[in-house]
Amino acid sequence: MELVGLSLTEVLTVLGGFAAAVTVLYLLKLRRRQVEVPFVHLWQEVLAEKQTTRLFSALKRLLSWLLALAVVAAVAFAMGDPRYAGASDEGQTTVVLIDASASMRATDVEPSRLEAGRAEVERLIEGLGPDDRMIVAQMDASTVPLTSLTGDPMLLSEGLERLAPTDVAADLSRGLRFALDVLRDRPRPRMVIVSDGVLGEGGDAARRAAEAGVELTWTKIGEGGPNVAITAFSVRRYPLDKSRSQVLVELWNPGEEDQGVELSLLGDGEPIDVQRIVVAGGERLRRFFENVSGADRTLEARLTLADGTRDAQPADDRAYARLPERRRARVQAVTAGNLYLSAALLLDEYLDVVEVSPADYPAEGRFDVTIFDGWVPPSPPDTHAIYLHPVPAEGVQGPFEVTGALERPYFDRIEHDHPLVQFTALRDVNVSAGLEVELQEGDRVIAGDEGAPLIVTGTRNDHRIVALLFDVRRSDLPLRVAWPLLLLNSIDHFVQEDAGYLSSYETGDTWHVPAPAGVESARLITPQGAESTVPIVDGRAVCTGTRAGFYTLRAGDQEDVFAANLGPSDEAIVEPAEQLSIGGVDAAPPTIGRAGVRTEIWTMLVLGVLAALLLEWFTYHRRITV
Amino acid sequence: MLDWLRRRGEATARKASKDGDLFDEEFQRRLEVLAIVSRRLVAGRTRAERRSKKTGAGIEFADHRQYTPGDDFRHLDWNLYARTGRLLLRLYEEEEDLSVYVLLDVSRSMAVGDPPKLDYAKRLAAALGYISLANLDRVSVVTFDSGVSGRLAPTRGKNRIFKVFEFLRPLTADGRTGTADAMKTFVTQNKRRGVAILISDLYDPEGFEGGINTLRFHKFEPYVIQVFDPAEVRPPLHGDVRLVDNETGEVREVTITPRVLERYAEAHAKYRKRIADFCTQKQVPYYPLETSVPFDEAVLDILRRGGLVG
Repeated sequence: MELVGLSLTEVLTVLGGFAAAVTVLYLLKLRRRQVEVPFVHLWQEVLAEKQTTRLFSALKRLLSWLLALAVVAAVAFAMGDPRYAGASDEGQTTVVLIDASASMRATDVEPSRLEAGRAEVERLIEGLGPDDRMIVAQMDASTVPLTSLTGDPMLLSEGLERLAPTDVAADLSRGLRFALDVLRDRPRPRMVIVSDGVLGEGGDAARRAAEAGVELTWTKIGEGGPNVAITAFSVRRYPLDKSRSQVLVELWNPGEEDQGVELSLLGDGEPIDVQRIVVAGGERLRRFFENVSGADRTLEARLTLADGTRDAQPADDRAYARLPERRRARVQAVTAGNLYLSAALLLDEYLDVVEVSPADYPAEGRFDVTIFDGWVPPSPPDTHAIYLHPVPAEGVQGPFEVTGALERPYFDRIEHDHPLVQFTALRDVNVSAGLEVELQEGDRVIAGDEGAPLIVTGTRNDHRIVALLFDVRRSDLPLRVAWPLLLLNSIDHFVQEDAGYLSSYETGDTWHVPAPAGVESARLITPQGAESTVPIVDGRAVCTGTRAGFYTLRAGDQEDVFAANLGPSDEAIVEPAEQLSIGGVDAAPPTIGRAGVRTEIWTMLVLGVLAALLLEWFTYHRRITV
Repeated sequence: MLDWLRRRGEATARKASKDGDLFDEEFQRRLEVLAIVSRRLVAGRTRAERRSKKTGAGIEFADHRQYTPGDDFRHLDWNLYARTGRLLLRLYEEEEDLSVYVLLDVSRSMAVGDPPKLDYAKRLAAALGYISLANLDRVSVVTFDSGVSGRLAPTRGKNRIFKVFEFLRPLTADGRTGTADAMKTFVTQNKRRGVAILISDLYDPEGFEGGINTLRFHKFEPYVIQVFDPAEVRPPLHGDVRLVDNETGEVREVTITPRVLERYAEAHAKYRKRIADFCTQKQVPYYPLETSVPFDEAVLDILRRGGLVG
């Protein structure tokens, strides 16, 4: 037994002082209540008998004094915070890494793996010795300490309350690096990983951990069960009919048995499609939903087992997507007459097209995009612009300085990933002649011949431009589907409705979400309602999130919604690992401190004091001791 | 009727104690009822010689009273009956009327109780006095503590009850009890023998016997009424207390426990038994009364047991 609070000397001093005070109080003559009676002689006989009970009274008084001394002793001893001596060996330093990845949201153990893990950590905290120190950290895509390094069980338990589930994969390497940093030069270092064990190898940090002499332990959580996951969910509007969309869903059954599932699609929160699908064991099944209508802003996929129950992992049973906004764009086409251009622009019902001849340029009104067909205005427009064969008149400064002509150029180089050329096939387009131009700084060639560009993007007069450096009428491009697509992609690119629109982001990644120009920061609201401020860099808000769902980005007076999903990972595997190996070292189950080691005796002493006072109160008020 | 008396008595006692006037109108109405009931109670019973002394023997008209079955209707006042339609009996003063002395203890111990024993004793004295006056007895009230402290000269006639009230009203409890000395003084001052009703708690350190014997030896006919409060029998005390005698100032320290209270109740009962045994032995009527019993009920009880009035 040892005292953690006051020292023995201090305890004895307190005890001695208070015991002396109590004794002095008991030695003081009792001040009796004075009562007038009409005939005191009647009490004589009674008092004569009372003489015989005086010894008993003295004994009761002695017992009362002893009880008071016992109370004082118990309180003084409690102030010393006594602990069992057996618990006091050299203190251990423990880093608890509790896995909060998506797989820990599995419900194969009640109520969930994360809660089971929390309970295990509580047991570890209860087993702490008086000299032990512990830090608890949440390990997901990053590793965040929930507590400081402390031996106070109350602080550790409070920190553990902040543990929150995420929809990301755990990064074991980061967790190990964090733990090694904490444990460096600490006595008896120990690392406890509370996880299902599906964590990967841990990389170089695992090797370092194995070599650092740290006791590596693993508390296994989870039992396994059936699971089918949505591993991909994407949506895009049809370029030529933006009222309808195409949806891609990928399902994965990591188990061995076939699973019948029911897949529901919800558009703007309302069910729009339900399908029953059987996913074979180990199969990754891709399913397209064509011509999906009824969704304007958001789309959500929900998965349940065919019998209506949930599988063991709810985190991957939902996926979210944001449909690109359909905005009516105002287009000014400056042309002397181009049937191909007019026909292509007619394909998109969401375009308001105004055609003007170069002589009538500019038309009245505000426009999002201006298309210059074979003509270059004397001064750059204050809109985004598409230049078709931009040969400026003499004395006019065009977007490019034309230096020559190209004979029969080919589309040898195409940036297929660029949204301008999405869904287009340009490689075999025949062009009779092109322009040889001097590109400006910042211009980007999207497609072109080996030596010369054919499709270029850039910025002029603070507005973006797309230039086709050939005359489309002297090519077979207008005869191809790629022609209207190229035009509409360009317009979409200008009005932020580009074909490269991301219908969802992946949790744990760094997101670059389009934001209004001229704003430096935005407010990000998570699906759980938490708000934070994020910076805007180059017109995009830079942020991240750990939960799947719909996020809201508020920048200035504009508000936009985007979706985030659990990315492709092994989080869908709900079978816990058989063995967790870190740097080639198998992690053993942790030793939990002896039960009662942390039991604080002072609480029992105080309870004993309360019981004694209760007994005293009862005996006094029941007239037993008076 | 008796239930009604009891209920009214309790209510009156409480009201009087609060208002401060012991002899209010309600009390007087109850006295009247008591006088009537007392006559009914004694009617038809073998009466002592005193009855024959009251009516018929004298020639001097004294008063009227209500006719009660059993009365000699030769004494009915027919003229009055013709005028008022009420049957009233004519009473005549006797040659030798009875003297009734109400000896009221006003020592400090009589202040104890809720209501105080003295208040109860005053009402008792007034009631007995009124019944006696109504029966044409000569009534005198004498107060005492360690000696005779006050005296209402003998008076007669029902309407003199107000003088009795006036005498009793200002009395307060003070002084030590000394029954023997007080009775010695009393017998010296009152040569005319008669009934001596001793109303006291009999808490006399020198002993109650001397005073009663003094009355007996001087040919008075003593009646002893002991009044005590219920809280005196089982005091609401607990814990360590310092008991102070409110007359002598004597002090006793005691730790009160349920057992002690039990022993005290036994001691009190033993003391009352001692008084009762003494009175029985000396053929002195003895009436122990708790102040929780309404005074009129107590009076009727005394009358039922006979001897004191009627």
